[in-house]
Amino acid sequence: MLEVNNLVKVYPGPVAALQGVSISVSKGMFGLLGPNGAGKTTLMRIVAGLLEPTSGTVRFDGEDVVEDPRRIRRKLGYLPQDFGFYPHLSGQAMLRFLLRLKGVEAPQGVDKLAAELLERVNLAYAAKRKVKGYSGGMRQRLGIAQALAGDPRIVIVDEPTAGLDPEERIRFYRLLAELAEDRTVLLSTHIVEDISVLCPRVAIMHDGRFVADTTPKEARSRLAGTIFEGAVDADGLAETTRRFQVTQAVLVEGHNRVRVHVPEGPPPERFAPVEPTLEDAYLLLARDGTSAADAE
Amino acid sequence: MTPLARWRQVALQEFLAGLRKPAYWILFGILMLMAWGFSEGSVTISTGESIAGGTRPHVTSIFNQSMIQTVAILGIGAWFLAIVAGMILPREAELRVEEVLNSTPLTPGEYVWGKFVGALGVFLAGWFLFLCVSAGFNHIVAPGGDADHIGPFMLGNYLFPTLLFGVPQILFFAGVPFFLGAWTRRPIVVFAFPVVVLLLTMTLLTLWSPSWLDPSVNRALMLADPSGFRWLNETFLKVDRGVEFYNTASLRPDAGFLISRVVFAVAGLAAVAAAQRSVARRLRTGASAFAFRLFRRRTRTSGPSTETGLPHPAAAVSTGQGLANLGMTVRLPGFWRAVRTVGNSEVRDLLVRPGMYLFVPLIIYQSVFNLTISVGPFDSQILLTPGAAATRQINTLALLVCVLLLFYTVESLHKERGRRLAEIFNSTPIGTGAMLFGKTLGNSLVAALILTAAVLATAGLMGYQQLFEDSPVGFSIVPFVAAWGAVLIPTFVFWTAFATALSCVFRSRYAAYGAGLGVIVYTVYRASFVEDLPWTANWIAWNALQWSDMGAFSLHGRTLMTNRLFYLSLVPPLVAVSVACFGRRDFDAAQFLHRLRPKPLFMGFLRLAPFLLLPVVLGSTLHFGGRAGYEGQRAEDAAEDYWRRNAATWTGFEMPSVFHVEMDLEFEPRLRSVEVSGAYTFFNHRDYAYDRIPVTAGQWDPIEWTLNGSEHEPEDRAGLFVFEPASPLNPGDSLTIGFSYELEYLKGTSKTAGGAGQFILSSGIVLGTFTPTFAPVPGYGESWGRPETPDSKEYADDFFEGETEPLFGWGGKPFTTRVRITAPEEYTANSVGRLTGEEVADGRRTVVWESDHPVGLVNVVAGKYAVREGEGTAIYYHPEHDYNIEEMSAALDAARKYYSEWFYPFPWELLKLSEFPGFATYAQGFPTNITFSEGIGFLAKSDPRSHVAFLVVAHEAAHQWWGNLLTPGRGPGGNILSEGMSHYATMLLHEQVHGERYRIEFAKRIEERYGDGRFVDSERPLVRTDGNRSGDGTVTYDKGGWVMWMLQQEMGREPLLAGLRVFIAKYNPDPDFPVIQDMLAVLRGFAPDTAAFDAFADQWFFDVVVPEYKLSGVTREQVGDEWIVRGTVENVGTGRMAVEIAAVAGERWSDDDEGDGGSAQSPEYRDARVWVELGGDESVPFEISVPFEPEQVVIDPDVLVLQLNRNAAVFEFEG
Repeated sequence: MLEVNNLVKVYPGPVAALQGVSISVSKGMFGLLGPNGAGKTTLMRIVAGLLEPTSGTVRFDGEDVVEDPRRIRRKLGYLPQDFGFYPHLSGQAMLRFLLRLKGVEAPQGVDKLAAELLERVNLAYAAKRKVKGYSGGMRQRLGIAQALAGDPRIVIVDEPTAGLDPEERIRFYRLLAELAEDRTVLLSTHIVEDISVLCPRVAIMHDGRFVADTTPKEARSRLAGTIFEGAVDADGLAETTRRFQVTQAVLVEGHNRVRVHVPEGPPPERFAPVEPTLEDAYLLLARDGTSAADAE
Repeated sequence: MTPLARWRQVALQEFLAGLRKPAYWILFGILMLMAWGFSEGSVTISTGESIAGGTRPHVTSIFNQSMIQTVAILGIGAWFLAIVAGMILPREAELRVEEVLNSTPLTPGEYVWGKFVGALGVFLAGWFLFLCVSAGFNHIVAPGGDADHIGPFMLGNYLFPTLLFGVPQILFFAGVPFFLGAWTRRPIVVFAFPVVVLLLTMTLLTLWSPSWLDPSVNRALMLADPSGFRWLNETFLKVDRGVEFYNTASLRPDAGFLISRVVFAVAGLAAVAAAQRSVARRLRTGASAFAFRLFRRRTRTSGPSTETGLPHPAAAVSTGQGLANLGMTVRLPGFWRAVRTVGNSEVRDLLVRPGMYLFVPLIIYQSVFNLTISVGPFDSQILLTPGAAATRQINTLALLVCVLLLFYTVESLHKERGRRLAEIFNSTPIGTGAMLFGKTLGNSLVAALILTAAVLATAGLMGYQQLFEDSPVGFSIVPFVAAWGAVLIPTFVFWTAFATALSCVFRSRYAAYGAGLGVIVYTVYRASFVEDLPWTANWIAWNALQWSDMGAFSLHGRTLMTNRLFYLSLVPPLVAVSVACFGRRDFDAAQFLHRLRPKPLFMGFLRLAPFLLLPVVLGSTLHFGGRAGYEGQRAEDAAEDYWRRNAATWTGFEMPSVFHVEMDLEFEPRLRSVEVSGAYTFFNHRDYAYDRIPVTAGQWDPIEWTLNGSEHEPEDRAGLFVFEPASPLNPGDSLTIGFSYELEYLKGTSKTAGGAGQFILSSGIVLGTFTPTFAPVPGYGESWGRPETPDSKEYADDFFEGETEPLFGWGGKPFTTRVRITAPEEYTANSVGRLTGEEVADGRRTVVWESDHPVGLVNVVAGKYAVREGEGTAIYYHPEHDYNIEEMSAALDAARKYYSEWFYPFPWELLKLSEFPGFATYAQGFPTNITFSEGIGFLAKSDPRSHVAFLVVAHEAAHQWWGNLLTPGRGPGGNILSEGMSHYATMLLHEQVHGERYRIEFAKRIEERYGDGRFVDSERPLVRTDGNRSGDGTVTYDKGGWVMWMLQQEMGREPLLAGLRVFIAKYNPDPDFPVIQDMLAVLRGFAPDTAAFDAFADQWFFDVVVPEYKLSGVTREQVGDEWIVRGTVENVGTGRMAVEIAAVAGERWSDDDEGDGGSAQSPEYRDARVWVELGGDESVPFEISVPFEPEQVVIDPDVLVLQLNRNAAVFEFEG
């Protein structure tokens, strides 16, 4: 169980990255959604014991992570948002090195384990190649392999699918879902679809605060009957945007396909009700975190 | 946009970017500091008068500016230019700028030349500012109102050196790294360039100039030196031309040098053109020539592999395999396992770094090269013993390896952050201690590798010397293990811990570099230049180990061990600080300030306290031991107190003669102690009575004194004990002062590392009676304890009239001695006189030495010796140092025999020479008992050509006559009767034993030392030379010896020697001690031509002259069977001398050694000679009829006239 209480982080400036965040996460996959600068990465780095908070507590399985970060490192699988490797090592040697640092063992030996892990992330073909020759996606997969290795009680992954092609994304989902069966997985992403596929629970951050702590299903059901979609021309888009809360506007074959949120009153002309998506919910909440939180 | 506009845009952008770089502002700051420092007159040409008020060389002269600018650009510019110019293209490649630029109309030429000019402009802007600020400081600020080192402002003095020396250097040092960067795109290659150039330039191209170097090689090195400093030095600075010349003359480069400067400038520009081609090719093909070749090679060698290539289509399909079936478990790594994992990774990383393969060989080169250029007396090469080789490399290795360790340690600690692996790495469960220790251990590979390579290189060097240079010394690993294990390993362990702590505390690599380099620079500055680095601050153990084959650690062994333990004991607290501060978790600013409150700070200190206990104890031991030791504050205070309390009363006090010395010495070398009892009998040789007799003693409490056999309590005036006999000591009367005490010599800890002049050590004993080291010294020592060196005393022209005090020794007439010495049985102890008793009892040997003829000084030397006996001579030496014994023994025998014939019969039974450990590096000729440091003679690299061992023995043995039998008087010129005469005696003996060839070689060598070492404006006539001015050393020794040799030519050998015999006889014994004027007065009576003698004495003893000959217009013409050689010889120096000019053919000396050491004249050699006489600034034509085809014209072929630039006084015919 991960418990975050009243966590505050102020960077010199001052910039308040976290403004008293509290949350409690048990086993399973927990998604973190939020725009750039919302404080997701700061929160995850503090939980991973890599950043000292200004105040507040973080406990995992009852142990104080802020006081002694070593306690969580023994149980942690971590994939940061931005990372690299020793360029002169091969993918397998790099992974082997990290496995040894984590104390990961397997009956078949660490060497073979590293090879098998690379196979799981579809990097076996490049196992002997130096990391400096890896593409962005290959590097991301190597990062995933090291984060999932061993028996981490908590897995923290920050934007893990960036740079992955759809097939690899699916492969990664599968691995992550397997892990989440009996442990805590904290997933931060911009990609709403990742959350909606994987996470039974999701929190939305805005300006260093949680503006929502919900499930994808609940978030969607709250908007039931309030999302409408239609096509408008350029003049119509301006008028629609002025009168309604537009969640999405995409230019398709010369027309703007627009989704609007109409909690009460009539929708725009020629707009039809559609099923709300988590993306609708996220965009509405993220656009005005404070009012959305109040609305809840 | 026109091409010119595009080029200008690129150049401007690079120029502005360069101005924003921190490196530029660091350079700017350094240049401004230099401008200020130079204006203070801290860096000027070594010339002028060293005394206050003398004429000083101008900082602003064209020669001084040339020297300053040349060295500044070489030392600083090379680095900066490599960074700003060399790194441009590698950096742009990293940022992938070229690909973007390639899509614009910008051509490679515009791009490359624009970048280069922009970068060059940054440096030139800084340099221009430096010149302006220098001129401002020099001519406007005129520091401190003391502007006698500032000359008039002349724009050319600043600009001409920049054009001649600066611009070619700047273009070369910018262009070549720029090309290397463009070609390889590897920073390491770019940085390697200035490193290699600087090492080569500073070791070989600029400073390496042995006396035997062939002039053509010297000239080639001048032209090959990119800085131009060698040309400047060899042409103008090496031989001092006097302040007037440097302050007013103009600097004219010769054609060869001008061409060399143009070549360097063109080479720099050509390198830029090559860079342009490389960039063009890269843009065209996607790879530079360099990268392309490497790629091709890699492709060929790697071949097809099943492990590489694209993912198999089948593999791309999700296998659906999960993680559960991998059977992963976690066992947290223990400390050592984690250390091993991290350490292995560091080693792998190091092994792929090009720096390892670049810097390690460079360090080895530097370290081992230093060994090969070590010189001893007479510029002799030193015989490398394993111990000496190990010790001499310690400073170099410690310094360079510590710089490298700083770099690798800091980089290693910031490596993960730099490669964006830090978050993953730091989130692993291994302990921070294990992480840091693993990295440290990995990096220690650097030091281990360098030490191993240095040992192997030294072994190779010694092996080479054994195989090809007939060196008798073999390699042994033991001294390396002992010396490096004791000194270097603790240094590296401490330094790595320190660098780690710096890096962890600052969390900034640049701050860590700054602080680390600051510590290194400060330490080396204090140790090497100020020479006051105390043991507590000597973490690098600079000069800490003084090696002797006779007992390696016997001098500072205990102090060194405490010092090493002190720094090793600092490692745990440094590790604790590192672990606490290591940036594994980014700290919070508010929390950080919170932790700086007194209470948390105090608690932090308490946690650290257990680690600090041992360092505090050891540091205190060193600190207080040093203060209380023999060089410490207490000793300094006592010495100063001695001076303060007695200077006013006792200065100038003339003592009665010592008549007899009785001494009983019980040595315990292991404890550095001696029990002394003895008595001095004084005899009043003067015509007045003494009511007080002062005697100086050391801090030997308690001393039991007696006066005429009865206990006595003299007045203790801070070490000057004043005896008041019951009745005055009347003329012709005598009295005896007795003493007994026990002392430990070199008691406690020394203040700093370094050698010791005298000592009682288990490795050997060497003690003299010049100062009260172990025995009281009669009278008051005027210079002892004086806090400041007094101005040199001015002597009247007739100061030598009447009775003159001795230059050294106790004064009065010589005295008799009886010295009884007891020491452990294995020691042989020698003193003055002859051995009259020896017995061994209870493991202790007692010897009695009694003077068989009066002496003027007493000394004691002891060691575990082997003995080589000669004809009335004996050499006592360390059994392993028998390399030069034959030569030294022959020299001592010859010296005793011939000096007795030439100067005065040797009055004593035995002439001894004893070796002592190399903690002191001198030789002293006490009567009958000469002492030599092991590095002198015993470990000289002597061979049949150099005869170094012979020469040093001949010189020191000559002091038996010139120093002992004839003790010079105190005053100007006095020491020339000791040292100059010994050099003259050496020349005589050398010619007697080895022939004219080697006398000529020796004469040339000391002539060159004189030319290089003299200070024109400081130099005074021999009769006025008192040793207080710069250059007086070479005047006293080298010129003194040379002038006597020329006097021999003037008077004739036999008249001169006859005169010298009479001179010694006259003043031995005599309470009036002679100086040069006394000698000349005697010799004049033996001169066949007194007018010529007076003329010679006037210019060589009473004036300063030295000829410098130049040949011009030399031609040869065949007339029948003869050749006529014509030319003009000019004396551009001073002094009127007759000198021979020879037309010669063939090599004069045969190197076929047929028992004569190669000293026989070669049968192929022929010469024809004429004499000319000319004074300063005079020239005369000459004509020589030569019965053979001449090859050369040589002035002074037999080396009979002291002159400057002898190498230039030769003309070689072409063909």
